[in-house]
Amino acid sequence: MRGILCFLLIVSTPAYAQFRMPSFDINKLVDTVKNVGKAVQDIAEPEEIEIGRDVASRLLGAAPLAPDPAMQRYVNHVGRWLAAQTERPDLPWRFGVLDAPQLNAFAVPGGTIFITRGLLERMKSEAELAGVLAHEIVHVLQKHHLKAIQKGAKTALAGDALGAALKDRGGAARDKLIAFGTEMYSRGLDKSDELEADRLGVVIAARGGYDAYGLPSVLQTLQAMNAQDSGVALMFKTHPAPAERLDALDRMQATLDAYASQPQLAERFVQTLKR
Amino acid sequence: MRTLLLLLLALPALAGAEPATLVRATELKEAPATDAATVARLPENAAVEALERKGGWTRVKSGSSEGWVRMLALRFGGPGEAKKGDSGITQIFNVARTGTSGTQVTTGARGLDADQLANAQPNPAELSKMADFAANADAAASFAAKGKLAAQSVEYPK
Repeated sequence: MRGILCFLLIVSTPAYAQFRMPSFDINKLVDTVKNVGKAVQDIAEPEEIEIGRDVASRLLGAAPLAPDPAMQRYVNHVGRWLAAQTERPDLPWRFGVLDAPQLNAFAVPGGTIFITRGLLERMKSEAELAGVLAHEIVHVLQKHHLKAIQKGAKTALAGDALGAALKDRGGAARDKLIAFGTEMYSRGLDKSDELEADRLGVVIAARGGYDAYGLPSVLQTLQAMNAQDSGVALMFKTHPAPAERLDALDRMQATLDAYASQPQLAERFVQTLKR
Repeated sequence: MRTLLLLLLALPALAGAEPATLVRATELKEAPATDAATVARLPENAAVEALERKGGWTRVKSGSSEGWVRMLALRFGGPGEAKKGDSGITQIFNVARTGTSGTQVTTGARGLDADQLANAQPNPAELSKMADFAANADAAASFAAKGKLAAQSVEYPK
């Protein structure tokens, strides 16, 4: 397949020079050849980061950053420290608190993580914040959203090639892809992805030196809330029920207990956020 | 809003005694440790009052006895008991932001409900502000050191 692609490119180069063949035809040709050659085309890291930036920009269109620089920097410190304990420490990690009352958190491909002010306000310690950020970091590490975007791209793009959507950031195909990628946060991931993010998130929080029970503790707070509550409706719709997530964390009991006496940093959390 | 934030942050680890039930038969321990003496054996679905958490343990009151149970064995709310209604946080928020009732806010309403996500437009100004708040690895490491956080080597589960 690759041989044919090279051949076509070689053949078409002089044609382009002579007849000013519109470049999008060549792109389309390249896309077609690639898609035939490989059913699921891998999205490279630079493209992953670019998709993430575009999706993050949309999410920020739905809710801006909370106007509290100390809070924003604090969350970035916690998040960046956790990311340093993972297999993708050098992504351009960014963490943001969205000025929204709902309780939720989002991981965007390429290393952008959001948590809502509503969720932050329900937390009691830095270890709880670390537990939630670690869960979101796992989504990025495992490329859960990127894979879901890729899987749904064919339908979302309705005929446009994924390659075009990846390359032409100003194009219509790109718009469709990003709108689809943003809407994914109201549909949710597979349950198995969420439960994996819980298990691995516990490990990452423990690696960061935090009380590993931070995430289970937040899940217990959520579990105590009414699923019909407008503040949690979307999160409950897009995630397994907190009780089920707590049940699933039973198998992490050994890890949880081994790192249960690490710092919770409740004081630093409260002091930083009450200003 | 700020008052609400302060109020929420001022709450102790568990706000007083919270009704909870046990998802499985559990030993009530004298101290938060596996090898601590067993005060009582509580059956599945036993109703308790949760008081505070310490690591993987929660101090609970069960009838006249008090002790510690595995926090993962606890679920809040009694068996089949309807949980409290809407917390009203989104309504408070909308009133605070717009001075009108939540249900009347339509044009320009922002937030993270399904509709708002579907109609969200790019906000490059906020995106670049976000980049300004990013921390580098060195800053994060010294922040961790200040909190006495020590990095550990922990394997992912199989």
